[in-house]
Order: sequence, then C-alpha cells, then structure tokens
Amino acid sequence: MEYIHNLPTMDLMRSEKMMFVQLILPVESAHRAVSYLGQLGLMQFRDLNDEKSPFQRTFVNQVKRCAEMSRKLRFIKDQIHKACLTPSSNSSSQSDTDLEELEIQLAEHEHGLSEMNANSEKLQRTYNELLEFKMVLQKAGDLLLPSESPMTAQDTELKDNVHISNDYADTSSLLDQEMLNGPSNQCGVGFVSGIIPKSKVLRFERMLFRTTRGNMLFNQAPAYDQILDPATNEMVEKTVFIVSFSGEQVRIKILKICEAFGANCYPVPEEMTKRRHITQEVLSHLSDLKTTLEAGLCHRDKVLTSIGFHLPKWMNMVKREKAVYDTLNMLNFDVTKKCLVGEGWCPIFSKTKIQEALQRATCDSNSQADIIFHVKDSVESPPTYFQTNNFTYAYQEIVNAYGVAKYQEANPAVYTIITFPFLFAVMFGDWGHGICLLLGALILIVREKKLGSQKLGSFMEMLFGGRYVLLLMSLFSIYCGLIYNEFFSVPFNIFGSSAYRCRDATCSESRSIGLVKYHDTYPFGVDPSWRGSRSELPFLNSLKMKMSILFGIAQMNLGIILSYFNARHFRSLLDIKYQFVPQMIFLNSLFGYLSLLIITKWCTGSEADLYHVMIYMFLSPFEDLGENQLFWGQSFFQVILLLLAVIAVPWMLFPKPYILKKLHSERFQGRTYQSLETSDIYTDRDYDSASQSDPEEFDFTEVFVHQMIHTIEFVLGAVSNTASYLRLWALSLAHSELSTVFYEKVLLLAWGYDSLVIRLVGLAVFAFATAFILLMMETLSAFLHALRLHWVEFQNKFYSGDGYKFEPFSFAALNDGED
Amino acid sequence: MGFLVTTLIFVLVGIIASLLTRICCNKGPSTNLLLLTLIITATVCCWMMWAIVYLAQMNPLIVPILNEEE
Repeated sequence: MEYIHNLPTMDLMRSEKMMFVQLILPVESAHRAVSYLGQLGLMQFRDLNDEKSPFQRTFVNQVKRCAEMSRKLRFIKDQIHKACLTPSSNSSSQSDTDLEELEIQLAEHEHGLSEMNANSEKLQRTYNELLEFKMVLQKAGDLLLPSESPMTAQDTELKDNVHISNDYADTSSLLDQEMLNGPSNQCGVGFVSGIIPKSKVLRFERMLFRTTRGNMLFNQAPAYDQILDPATNEMVEKTVFIVSFSGEQVRIKILKICEAFGANCYPVPEEMTKRRHITQEVLSHLSDLKTTLEAGLCHRDKVLTSIGFHLPKWMNMVKREKAVYDTLNMLNFDVTKKCLVGEGWCPIFSKTKIQEALQRATCDSNSQADIIFHVKDSVESPPTYFQTNNFTYAYQEIVNAYGVAKYQEANPAVYTIITFPFLFAVMFGDWGHGICLLLGALILIVREKKLGSQKLGSFMEMLFGGRYVLLLMSLFSIYCGLIYNEFFSVPFNIFGSSAYRCRDATCSESRSIGLVKYHDTYPFGVDPSWRGSRSELPFLNSLKMKMSILFGIAQMNLGIILSYFNARHFRSLLDIKYQFVPQMIFLNSLFGYLSLLIITKWCTGSEADLYHVMIYMFLSPFEDLGENQLFWGQSFFQVILLLLAVIAVPWMLFPKPYILKKLHSERFQGRTYQSLETSDIYTDRDYDSASQSDPEEFDFTEVFVHQMIHTIEFVLGAVSNTASYLRLWALSLAHSELSTVFYEKVLLLAWGYDSLVIRLVGLAVFAFATAFILLMMETLSAFLHALRLHWVEFQNKFYSGDGYKFEPFSFAALNDGED
Repeated sequence: MGFLVTTLIFVLVGIIASLLTRICCNKGPSTNLLLLTLIITATVCCWMMWAIVYLAQMNPLIVPILNEEE
C-alpha cells in the first residue's frame, strides 16, 4: 500500500500545478514583454478591466488602428482574389517591419489601388460608350442607306433624323418617298439613333408608338457583338435602333423615353462620308483606349502580385499586434502611471522560461527598470492544464467535451485511452471490418503532415483529429473479432479444431439433440461450430450479456477506486470513510456477488438459475436454495451480503453531514468577533468571491440534501448503470446479425447463380452495404454508445468536471483560431 | 492449452510490452508510469475478454444443434 502511495506522479493524471502571478511592467518594455510572452504561450492573463467598456480602455486607439489595418489588408486580399491572381504564400522569416511603417505603406497601397480601380472603371465606361457608338454608326449606316440617294440632294447639315421601320419596309419607302418628295418637309423630320438592350426593345417600341400616336417609324437591327455591361459585369446583347419622327415636342418626348429605358443615344450624321470619317475616328480612339486599359490592368496586376508576396506576413503581424494590444488592455496602470500591472495564471514549471522571456524584453527595449514577477495567493480555483501530445490530445478533448476537470482531480482520460476503444471493439467485434478501419486509420496517420497543413472540411477534420483513436479502435476491433470469431460474419478455425463433433458416425442426431463436446475448449475465442447452428443465439446471448455485466462491474469499481485516490489527494478522510467504503460495499455485495455467481456457474457448469437466486436473495433471503446452490454456505453468505448492503446505505447518507457540522462549529467556536484585515487594493475583489463561504453560515439542510441526492443517485445508479452496460451486448448482437444478413442474403445468394453479371452486382451491393451501413453507421453508433458509457456510467462515480480550461495568451493559438 | 497457461501467456506479453516501451520511449518517470498504466489496462482488458469467453465454453449447458439445410 505504501508503495502505491509513494509512486511518482503520473503524466496526464492530474492538472499541472498552477501559480497565480503578478507582473509589474514598466511602460517602455510592456509591449515587448507581452509579445514575447505571446510567443511562449504559457501565461493566461486575467482581465483586470472587466467593468470597462471597450472604448474606455487604455490602448483603444492602437486597437482601432490595427482593426483599420486589417480592413485594408482584407481589401487588398479581395482585390487580389478578384483579379484572379494566386497569392504566392511564402512563410518568410520575421523581418521586423515596424508597425507605423506598415500602416503608412498600407494606406499608400490602398489609396493607389482605389485610384487605379476608379481610373480603369472610367476608362472601361468610355470604352463601352465608344464601342456602342461604333456599332450604332455601322448599323445606322445600313439602315439609313436606302434613303441615302434621294436625300443627298437635300441639305443634311441639320440634325434631321429619319425614322425607318423595317417591318413596314415597303410602305416605309413609300412613306419616305412621300415625305421626301414633299419639299416642305425639311424642318420637323428627324431621327434618333441609339442602342438598347435586346430584352427591352419590344416594350420600347410599343411605348414610342403609343406616345407618338403612331407617328413614327422604328427601325432596328441587332448588334453583332455583345457588350460588357459595367453595372452587372456580364455580356449583354444589344440592338441598334433608329426612330424617325416629326416635330420638336415629339423629339423631347422620345429622348425622355430613351433615357427611361436606358437606351444610349448617339448622333449619327446622315452623310456617308461624314459617317465614315467619324467611324475612323472612333475606331482609332477605341484602339487607343484598349491599349491604355490593358496597360492599366497589367500595371495593377504587377502591383498586386508584389503586395501579395508580403500579404500573409503582414496579416500575421497585424493579428499579433492586435492581440498584444488586447492583452495590454487587460492590464492596469498603477498609481505612479509609469508601470502596468497584470495578473494571471501560469504553470509552475514554466517559471524560468517566463522569467527569461521577461529578461530578454527588458534588454531588448533598453529599459532601465526591471520587470517584476512574483507569486501571489489567489482565492479562486486555478485553471486546469494538461500537457498533451498528438496522441493524447484527442482523448483529452473527448473527456473535456463532457466537462473540464476540476483543478488537480483525477483525469479519466488516462484510462479512457484504452477502455474507450476497447468498449467500442466489444460492440463492433469483427476482424474483417477491423482491418478496413485499420487501413483507414493508417492512411490518415501516414499522410499526417500533408493533411495537417491543408484546410479540411468539418467532417474530415473531425476524422483527422481522431486518427489515433481510430487506430486503437481498429486494433481492438481486430482482437475482439478474433475472439468472437467473425470475419465479415464468417468463422474460421485459426486456433485449432472445433471442440464439438457428432455423437456417432452417422451424425443422425446432430439436428435434433446436437453435437457433443469431446475435446478441450477451443483455445481462443468462440468455437467455430456455433455459427449457423440453431442454438447459436441462446448461447451467444447468454455469453454476451454476462460479459457486459462483468465489464460493467469492473469499470464501475475502477471509477470508485479513482474516487478513493481523489479523496486521498485532497486529504479528505471524511470522503474515504463515509463515501468510498460504503460505496464499495454496496456495489460489490450486490453486483460483485452477481459477478461471482456468474463465474462460479461457468466454472462448475451448474444449472442454477441466477435470476432466481438474485431475486429471491431479496424477497426471501432465509429460504433454502435447493438446486440453485452453487457453493456451500451460500444462503448464509447471501444473508450477510444483504445485511452489509442495507447497512451501507445509511452509512453513506447520515454521518458525513453531521460530522461536517461538528467540524464547522469546532473551527469557528471562538470567533465571535470578525478580525480586522488590512485592505489591499488588489485583493479587495478577491474578498467578494470568498464571501460565499461565509464563516458564520453553515446551511445544514443544504449539505444534508446534497448528501441525500448523492446517496440516492449512487444506490439507484448501481442498478441502472449495471443494466446500461447491457448495451454492449445489444450492439454486438446487432452488428453480428447485420453482418450475417449481408453475407448470407446478398453475397451467397448472388454467388449461387452462374451468371457473372449477377455475381458482380451482388459483390458490389455487398461492398456498398458493408461500407456504408456497417463501417460508417455502426462505427458511429458504437462510438456514441461507448462514449455514453464513459461519460455517464464511469465518470459519475468520481468526476466532478466543473473546472475551467487553461487558455494562455499564445500566438500559435491565434493562428489556429482565426483559420 | 489450459486456462492457467494462457493466462500466464497474457501476463508475459504484458511484461514484454512494458519492457519494450521502457526501452524505446523512456521519457522520464512520470511518462513511464503513464505508459505502464496504459499497458496494464490494455492487458487486463484483453485478458478479461479472453477469459470470459473461455470460461463460458468450459462447461456448456447447451450444444450446437445444426440447421436443417445442412
């Protein structure tokens, strides 16, 4: 016993010892000190400025500047993304660009980029307009052509616009002729030419027709090219139109309608030479603009690429600076206003590292004053810190999902590492499926580095995070599969021959009375003769149910023993004598006795009915057992156990509250006056939290009710938790049956046919069913139930789980969190 | 092989495994204790599983009764 008590502490069993420290930082070295501490990542700062709003804090301006800078960086990142450039991410070394320099640079870059964007937008718009003008010129030329010859005689210097409607081609020319032949038609006849999106043409024409009461001619032709619409950034089909009308009022109306419909009007001269002249101008203008635009885009891309080179580093820097200022905001200025005071938690083993980092900060910032670092006492409970590696991290997260361990209490993760995959395997036992899981786990582990640096989807991320859990689960599944003797539900004779054979040479009675056991027991696992027999289920059910009970009792006993170690660590003799001992007695006198009966029945091969024994142990304990007797003196033994169990219940319930009350009154007997305490500004707040355990008050009813709840929970829980372990049997049965069904009714059925196609189809269906139903659904199901068994049945024997996690100020955690 | 012999084999495998981990990954007494705990837990779990199935088949109350088709 003494040997166990003198063992060194186990890794991961209890939280690292934490200490509460106070830091006094001179202002000039404060920033550097905090950023070095961030790199170290071992100190959790307490927020001393809790009550203040974010705008009342000291460094609010710096935080705002950092936020502004990160906004600019995001804008630049957006621009790079829009320009479809791939950012060349190089994690270069920390060349310390100053923060102010970076700010100025970023402002310049942002300004430059916005200017470039605005310019190119303007250019693009002009380019579009010219393009439309060009199209209008060309198409309008075609439309105006028929009326060219008769009109050349007239003077066309005026802005006369003739409307020609294509639909009424024949009549229009007549109309034209009529109009043109009339010499007095010079003034008032005009045309408006322009371009409008194709989708609006019909409505446009109808509206024009209505407003001009039909006194117009509408001519249209589709533009041969698509035009980029600057608003929606997509290519739109447009139609060139020419509206001929007469009258000045009509012209104003038509122009307004054009504006309403978003049609762009361009003046088209009627003379061909003039048109050609203008077309040439427009074309040359267009090519100029195109080159300018391209040059502009090229330049912008170059600028973006050069910025993009530095972008990840800058973003990192800004993130860190913001984090440092946020942390600095948690500190307080002291009376002289020349130092910042901070408080926080750090593990005891990191003391030298922290002191060294602070020393470095003092040197690097050329500060005259040293940073003071000293340990303080704290009233509140420290945070819990477990040092985990890649392997144990997943298990610790599984335990933390239920509740973070109280400071220095036993960590169930130590045993969960083995028992969780093991209970999973009890429910999943099939070594064929286990090999599939093993392959999956090995793939994840071998590609650890590659997958770790990528960004994965949420499902893959969970799977990747639990790769070591998966590995152990698969290894134990293979072991349990060998024991259950199931390879995709097929048994094998790996460990020797079966122990059963026919009673005589003719095997005549094998289908009525069955085989006989002639040999020693099959050495490893379930005998292969059972598979497919009619009595397979009764045998396996009995075996698996009893196995579940035995595992359950074992795990619950482990839980109670862990509560003993907790009580010993926290030096609570009360808990040991009045909680641990009666709990052990109660559980083992009832359900430990059941386990004993099970094992005895197996060893002796007796035909005793254990249900009967257990039930009548309570109903009529003094009755003779008769043929249900397993060993000599059993009834006497049972009576003793029953008495012990009955005594254990009040033993758990009554003594502890009364003794606590007695201890409390002894401790505070002489204290009729409250002692004067020196007021310390920093511990003022601490006293508030201490007031809850007010020395004058001891609520006996509360303590008693708490103890009663605890007792009832344990007593009732003993029955319900034991029964809950039967899910090990239930899921194992379900898995085995599903596997059998898929094998016999899919694969064997399909293999019975001669056709190759049916065989392949059967194989494919078998593969899909196995992969999705057995490998995925059953895995998740068994995972969940094993998890529940750990969280509830195992942990409620000893775990309180009401601590809080240690979250140090760390740059590494920053990156993980934001990504 | 009997029950006791196989139990001894399990114990032996456990001892060998703990010696191997002591040789390969010796990272201080606290880590060693953790590894030892893990190996003991795994050995005990595996042995229990085997022992339960073995004991259940030692003196069976029912025997396999073959199906009609076969």
